[in-house]
Amino acid sequence: ETEKSEGVIKVVTGKNCKFTYGDCIRDRYPMAVDKVRYIGEPVAAVIADTSYHAKQAVKKIKVEYEKLPVYIDALESLKDDAVLIHEKNGEYWHLPSYKPIPKTNIANYYVLKKGDIDRAVKESDVIVEGEFNYKFGSSSAIEPHGTIAWFHEDNTVEIWSSSICPAIIQDDIARTYSIPASNVRVHIPEIGGCFGYKSDVTIEQTVAYIASHVKGYPVKWVASRKEDYTSTLIGHGVRIKMKIGAKKDGSLVFIQSKVYHSTGAYADTGVNITMAATHTVGVYEFPYALCEGYTVYTNTPPVGAFRGYGYQYAHFAIERLMDMLARKLDMDIFELREKNYLTKNKKFGTGEVVNEDYGDIKKCSDTIKNIIFEKEKLKEDDNYFYGRGFAAVVKAPKGAPHSSKGCYVKFNGDGSVSINMGGAEVGQGLRTVVQQIAAETLKIEPERIHVYTEIDTQYSPWEWQTIGSMFTVQGGRAVIRACQKAIDKLIENASYALRTDKDMLEYDGEKVYLKHNPDVFVKVVDLVRGYMHEDGVTVGEVVQATSDARLPRYSNPDPETGQGNLGVSYTFGAQGCEIRIDKKTGEIIIDNFASAFDIGKVINPVQLRGQIVGGVMIGIGGTLYEELKFDKDGRLINPHFSTYKFPTIKEMPKKYEVVFIETPESIGPYGARGIGEHPVLGVAPAILNAIYDALGVDLYEVPVSKEKILELIKDKIKEKTGV
Amino acid sequence: MEIISFKVNGISKTIQIEGHESLLDILREKVNLTGTKRGCDDGSCGACTVVVNGEAVKSCIFSAKKLNGAEVITIEGITKNGDLHPIQKAMIDSGAIQCGFCTPGIIMELYSLFNKNLNASENELIDALAKHLCRCTGYESILDGAKLAQRYIKENK
Repeated sequence: ETEKSEGVIKVVTGKNCKFTYGDCIRDRYPMAVDKVRYIGEPVAAVIADTSYHAKQAVKKIKVEYEKLPVYIDALESLKDDAVLIHEKNGEYWHLPSYKPIPKTNIANYYVLKKGDIDRAVKESDVIVEGEFNYKFGSSSAIEPHGTIAWFHEDNTVEIWSSSICPAIIQDDIARTYSIPASNVRVHIPEIGGCFGYKSDVTIEQTVAYIASHVKGYPVKWVASRKEDYTSTLIGHGVRIKMKIGAKKDGSLVFIQSKVYHSTGAYADTGVNITMAATHTVGVYEFPYALCEGYTVYTNTPPVGAFRGYGYQYAHFAIERLMDMLARKLDMDIFELREKNYLTKNKKFGTGEVVNEDYGDIKKCSDTIKNIIFEKEKLKEDDNYFYGRGFAAVVKAPKGAPHSSKGCYVKFNGDGSVSINMGGAEVGQGLRTVVQQIAAETLKIEPERIHVYTEIDTQYSPWEWQTIGSMFTVQGGRAVIRACQKAIDKLIENASYALRTDKDMLEYDGEKVYLKHNPDVFVKVVDLVRGYMHEDGVTVGEVVQATSDARLPRYSNPDPETGQGNLGVSYTFGAQGCEIRIDKKTGEIIIDNFASAFDIGKVINPVQLRGQIVGGVMIGIGGTLYEELKFDKDGRLINPHFSTYKFPTIKEMPKKYEVVFIETPESIGPYGARGIGEHPVLGVAPAILNAIYDALGVDLYEVPVSKEKILELIKDKIKEKTGV
Repeated sequence: MEIISFKVNGISKTIQIEGHESLLDILREKVNLTGTKRGCDDGSCGACTVVVNGEAVKSCIFSAKKLNGAEVITIEGITKNGDLHPIQKAMIDSGAIQCGFCTPGIIMELYSLFNKNLNASENELIDALAKHLCRCTGYESILDGAKLAQRYIKENK
């Protein structure tokens, strides 16, 4: 009946699907084959002439399901009698560093080990512990996911997608359809926001699978808002049981954690997040560590990246526990932290040694202390409770050893410059940064540099993927390298013109001149296409250059200890807030949210502030408002903007304060560091620490609803008055 | 099937509709004005806001059937002689645009508001902007941009 519906060209199901795919674990099906693992998984698609006709026809599809048990939380999937969500767990191809546990729902087990934990427990005078839960959320960009896939008759495939990983898509599609990657051309137009869930392969393989049934025709699918929630990637779903031990004087001894990540029905996009949440031990040195991370299959949409990439869950637990530890030791929260901050020669959990140029956590911390904690705290009045909270944070990019970013630079005949890169612009402003860095290096005005607006794998340089707050650090260095190569070519061409050695020449943006006699020079415009002598004979190379940059000496984790060079470039920061809790409504009003980050070098202050303020707001959403809720059958009950409520302008803090510290880094361009994800990291712990300060109650789970707060207020009043 | 006539950005259009289309469908798919964005389909994000007969409306829930005789202005229709509108300039100058997907809707909201009341107070600005979801900026720069736009329009920039 569906096939006969108006405008229908073909109905596609997973029946003939012979492959699974994935970048890290190939456990994903483009369309359900025999088994549906979550509600929202594609089971059939209608190709029609218009989306309206396709939607009408879809309504006529009848599917019969045999019910299977549904697990929403990792803890349910881990029970001994739990049914396997993937019978083939362990058999799928996966990265060599991954450890799936066959015949369980554990898609990966990761452990970070440092010393003998039993000894550490004995050596500790005080231990604090808690179970922390960061519930499900969604990146919820205003633009939903969309993809066009087109199998051409000449054995090439063309794809347009709202993705930040064209190269990953190119490789994955090529492998799936056994064609050379050069035959797969991926276009990335402007993207309407990402925040994580447009990284990795999301809907591209599904749309390509559908399109492979109608070779010669482009097939387009744009997710409805509901589909964007139910059938792409969701976020968070991380439960952490954590213990921290310390000596009486406040010196930290050990950290022990178990991280349970409900990763959804497919784990390809989740494992690295679990690993990051597990190896992150915050801004402190712990002599001993035993942190175990379980990525667990569950029956929800797959969980993927969401700004912070695992670090926000670990920071939530650690920074709450640090406040609790300070209380137990009867120490000031800053005194305790300062004693343990990662300063020069101390070691991260991963074993990396802190160098001076890694940034200054103490300066960040002092800045927030001055802004939020130096003045007298407001006293409870008839309408409000008042509280102040703090959190210190650090994050490295989530990279890969080969995660390079490329750059093509071309001088035009008039001396203006065109630059192509593979960095996906999702609003972070990276193209402006490219323009600024190139202008600085080439010594010309930014207005004379035009930066790419679209990524096209046929013409753009290779970039691994635009993730992990590292475009400025790596891409910026690639720009400098490529520009320097272009300058070298200008100088070489000038050496032919001026008949001297290259090291006798200097470049100033307009001309190349003799060092010892600047009056003898050649203009750049006379060098860009090679140098033409008076008689027309032309020598030298056209001035265009290519380069790339990656994180130096980034490594895989050691299989036994989980340690290794997993960070390389870190950004430290501190965040704090002043809140007010409405006694009648339970509403939390943020009077000030302050952030201080050691950014290394401020390249664009307006964009930086935008990143920080916007990131803080996403953190506030996750802390107070946003939760994707599933019913017991695994159905998402709020897949709309009207029911998944993220902050509007009315929830904006009364004040945002942003301070930049500049301790230059030796890796980033002109000393700059990454910042994209960092602003979300301290928000949940800072606000929950402030809630304790206001109400004297420790909370362990986000989001915290105003109904929950209202309950606490009632309990508090009952305690006081007995009524 | 039904024939409707209306004006978009001052240009008369007569088109055939099937009846189920929204104004957003018409703008994006029939008259090829893709500056108006689709973020949801239930009027909750404001990305699709355009001005119809002077009022800011959410085009995703505005039926094409009601379009006959209407004057529609979209983001493509507010530049003059190739120059950006002062609201657009103000949004750029205040750093209010990150991914830009919510921007056309917000600008059209303010365009309608400022035509009616250029002296809208901060609270009135917040009420208007609260109809729009932005996931990038944290809203600070958008509110700054709205205030700057009031100044630019007054200064005839």
